[in-house]
Amino acid sequence: MSSLTPQSSPLSSPFAHNNQSVRRLMVRVQLAVIPALLVHIYLFGFGIVIQWLLAFATLMVVEFTMLKLRNRPIRPFITDMSAMITATVLVFCIPAGAPWWIIVSGTAFALIFGKHIYGGLGYNPFNPAMLGYAFLLLSFPVQMTQWTAPTEILDYAVSFNNSLHLIFTGSLPQAALEANLTANLDMVSAATPLSQLQTGLTQGQGVTESLTPIALEAQTHYQNGSFINGFFYNTAQFFSLNSWAWVNVAFLIGGLWLLAVRAIRWQYPVGFLGSLTLISFIFYSIDPNTYPPVDFMLLSGGTMLAAFFIITDPITSSTTPKGRFIFACGIGVLVYVIRTWGIFPDGITFAVLLMNIAVPLIDQYTQPRVYGHK
Amino acid sequence: MSSIFMQAFVRPLSIIYPMAKRWLHRFHGGVFPKTYKSLSLKHPIRSTVIPEKLILPVKQLTGQKIAWHVAIGDTVQKNQCLISAAKENKKGIIVPIHAPTSGVIHAIEMMSLPHPSGLSALSIIIKPDLKDTALNNVLNVSGKVPETPQQLKDILLNAGIVGLGGAGFPTFAKLPNQTGIINTLIINGAECEPFITCDNLLMQTQAQDILNGAIMVAQTLGIPSIICGIEENKPTAIQAMNAAAATLLKNTPNLSITIQTLPAVYPMGGEKQLIKELTGIEVPAKTHAIDSGLLVFNVATFAAIFKAITLGEPLTQRLVTIAGLGLKHSYNTNALIGTPFLTLAKAGEPIHPIQTPLIMGGPMMGFQVADNQVPVIKTTNCILVQPPEPATETIVMPCIRCGECMDACPVNLLPQQMFWHSQAHEFEKVEKLNVFDCIECGCCSYVCPSHIPLVQFYRHAKSEIKHIHAEQQAAELAKQRHEFRLARIEREKQEREARIKAKKAAVKKQASEAEKPSGASSAKSAAIKAAAARAAAKRATQQGSEQNVNEISPPPLSARQKAIETAKKQAAAKVGSKVAPNKDPRTSAKQAAKKAAAMAAAKRRTQTNHENNSDATSKIDSKQAMNDKRKQAMETAKKRAAERKARKAEQEPPK
Repeated sequence: MSSLTPQSSPLSSPFAHNNQSVRRLMVRVQLAVIPALLVHIYLFGFGIVIQWLLAFATLMVVEFTMLKLRNRPIRPFITDMSAMITATVLVFCIPAGAPWWIIVSGTAFALIFGKHIYGGLGYNPFNPAMLGYAFLLLSFPVQMTQWTAPTEILDYAVSFNNSLHLIFTGSLPQAALEANLTANLDMVSAATPLSQLQTGLTQGQGVTESLTPIALEAQTHYQNGSFINGFFYNTAQFFSLNSWAWVNVAFLIGGLWLLAVRAIRWQYPVGFLGSLTLISFIFYSIDPNTYPPVDFMLLSGGTMLAAFFIITDPITSSTTPKGRFIFACGIGVLVYVIRTWGIFPDGITFAVLLMNIAVPLIDQYTQPRVYGHK
Repeated sequence: MSSIFMQAFVRPLSIIYPMAKRWLHRFHGGVFPKTYKSLSLKHPIRSTVIPEKLILPVKQLTGQKIAWHVAIGDTVQKNQCLISAAKENKKGIIVPIHAPTSGVIHAIEMMSLPHPSGLSALSIIIKPDLKDTALNNVLNVSGKVPETPQQLKDILLNAGIVGLGGAGFPTFAKLPNQTGIINTLIINGAECEPFITCDNLLMQTQAQDILNGAIMVAQTLGIPSIICGIEENKPTAIQAMNAAAATLLKNTPNLSITIQTLPAVYPMGGEKQLIKELTGIEVPAKTHAIDSGLLVFNVATFAAIFKAITLGEPLTQRLVTIAGLGLKHSYNTNALIGTPFLTLAKAGEPIHPIQTPLIMGGPMMGFQVADNQVPVIKTTNCILVQPPEPATETIVMPCIRCGECMDACPVNLLPQQMFWHSQAHEFEKVEKLNVFDCIECGCCSYVCPSHIPLVQFYRHAKSEIKHIHAEQQAAELAKQRHEFRLARIEREKQEREARIKAKKAAVKKQASEAEKPSGASSAKSAAIKAAAARAAAKRATQQGSEQNVNEISPPPLSARQKAIETAKKQAAAKVGSKVAPNKDPRTSAKQAAKKAAAMAAAKRRTQTNHENNSDATSKIDSKQAMNDKRKQAMETAKKRAAERKARKAEQEPPK
């Protein structure tokens, strides 16, 4: 049996190409994150930028070292931008004010154990970002749940310098504290709606009760006029959206663009959001006091990030059209199950990892009918 | 083939989502490469140029003989038949070759073929005399529509017509032998490959011929309807074909001719894709279009058929597109079969000197030729002259399972998984993923963001699987042969045993008959035997000739001599009893039978020696057999001698 090495054998047809490349694909995904990034900065402060820069520095070091160790060409693989996607997704998953070593260790773990030890790009069975996140969540549960409160609650926009101070020292600078005595600075972190809901429900409160504090707080600040007036206030009132929901909307916009440029396939968001909508609608209809409404499910936590940026990772998901849909539906159901009955407020990580395991099986049983075969 | 509503919906949508165009055709996938067709369409068809030499490769197939009608040095005329399939070929698919122009057979030698393998083949090289004197109606046709399918097939065979779309399969062999098998005749005018415009120009200039050819085929084979599919990016050709169809339809009222505009998508021109698009029929896997009542030919094939039927003209030239980004003037020309590629390419004024291999066919399915001097053959529709490759070659990245290949596959295969398994040399899995349905159109490679040469992997996998199957078949055959051999040996053994048993039974019977009179001591039985022999000899001497008696009867002996002889006889009997301890005729017969059986077995063994690996054993066996033989011969001789002596003793009674 002769072994085939396409790179060395003579060039054969086709002699044309549509000029698409892995890098271009990854860059598109990266660009699609920008709206969410901007909204995040606007609503949660500059923490995310620092986290992102930290992640970038980490990934460069990790990629370079790993490629060197694995004896692979550095340039094509470090510039394929796939590690950037992993890092970006991870950055959005962790609290913006988390200590610096969280993102550094998370990124390093995701790239080394999520990608390189399996053979690098294209060979990893698990979503690297989700593996990194799972590692962080299980190893550092305290830091991972210190969610930065949005400006609307904090009533104070955390500046770049303050964020830097917070991330590297764990507290805001003294000057900032003194300057904003009126602000509610004993807490820069707050519970997210999802964790709030979970805490509320475990304490025997109903859905509305559990979610009231957030809504109330936001309302107070809006009325004080100390927070941004105008657009956000009005639209937020109109759609009754909180900051977390706004980030989700931004992800949705970027995701739709990705769909148009065929960087991702429609089966992922449709299957995931569809199944999540359906299952939450069913349970909400059964008992609205125990189960949160559909819009809350869709616009809280990392729902949109997952729908367009996490589960769409082609390497770790099914390749057949039907398989993609089943894969996405499975994640939707698991997310609901974990969010509602699990111990973690957001279940995307584990839902994705669980479905990653099922991918070979799904692929096996969802092969399309070939032309001329009945 | 899609509704106006769908078109109205997709056209604007395709501006922001180009792949929406995939919804407009009926087969799966497809790609939309930049066509570059205007490069060669801008210019009218150039007149035929007779090159310095024509190279005509002789197609050779295993087990098929070729009849040579010319030799080196012969002067040939245009259209003269140079070679044809030898008459003794029972199932020949070799089509004859005709001289494309007049000239002298310069040489018959090995020349590089326009084939992906780059192999050489025996080729006839003609030095044209530039007079271009032609033989007319070499096929000896009446110009009328053939009456029977066989007549049509004969004409097509003699004209040397093969599928001009690219497959190159002899057209006559594709036709059915009976009328009424085919429901629809499809004219393939899709021409979906980028750069190629020869079919387009042929339809523009010879629409009547194409349709006439199709009508003749339809009439001969009793086909009720003709559909011609042309991609929408050839409006002039569609117009010309429509006009021709309108005029021709008046003469053929019971035939339906449809000119169908198709969405422009690659690979619309693929036979199965075109069939699906035009008729909605999906040709079942492992069958041919003809099994579904469909017959598909390229436009150029129909034009050639028309010329063969009406003018008796063989296929000696074809329209070829010479195009590419490496040429200043891309063009089409009626090239003589055998014209070297480089001659045609140079006529298009290359921008850079041509140093890279030329490509035969389009950029999607064409192949680089090993030598730019290879000739135009009947299936050459395009000579692609691309500018030299830029030095920075795109690196092949790992597969990211994006599924673009799957979305592009016109056969709805899973290219990614086939690639994965072929990379791992798991060829049985590749086969299970239906790699043999792959038409090697190149769509998957075209869209692959990792730039993986997927088609190459499938070609390799296909050849490996074929190889594995051949090996399996050989092993199966060997197994069968071995089993057959074992069965035969078993059968022979049984036969032998049966024979021995029968013999035994016979001997037993004999022996029991012989034993009846006496209790049979060895001496007694010998005496009885001797007496019987004596009686027989007496009868023989009484009845027989003198000579016989003389021969048999020895000279008279003295008493002493007689005594010596009896002593000898006794000694012989002793020796005999030593060799065969019991002189009982029953046992000796048994032994003889055993020996005979052993001998037979040995003989057979030596016969089957070829198959037997253990030569040594069989040699030993045969040696043993030889020994046995000798022993037996000795024994019989001794017996005979003893008998003779006994007889002699009886003949001359002791004194």
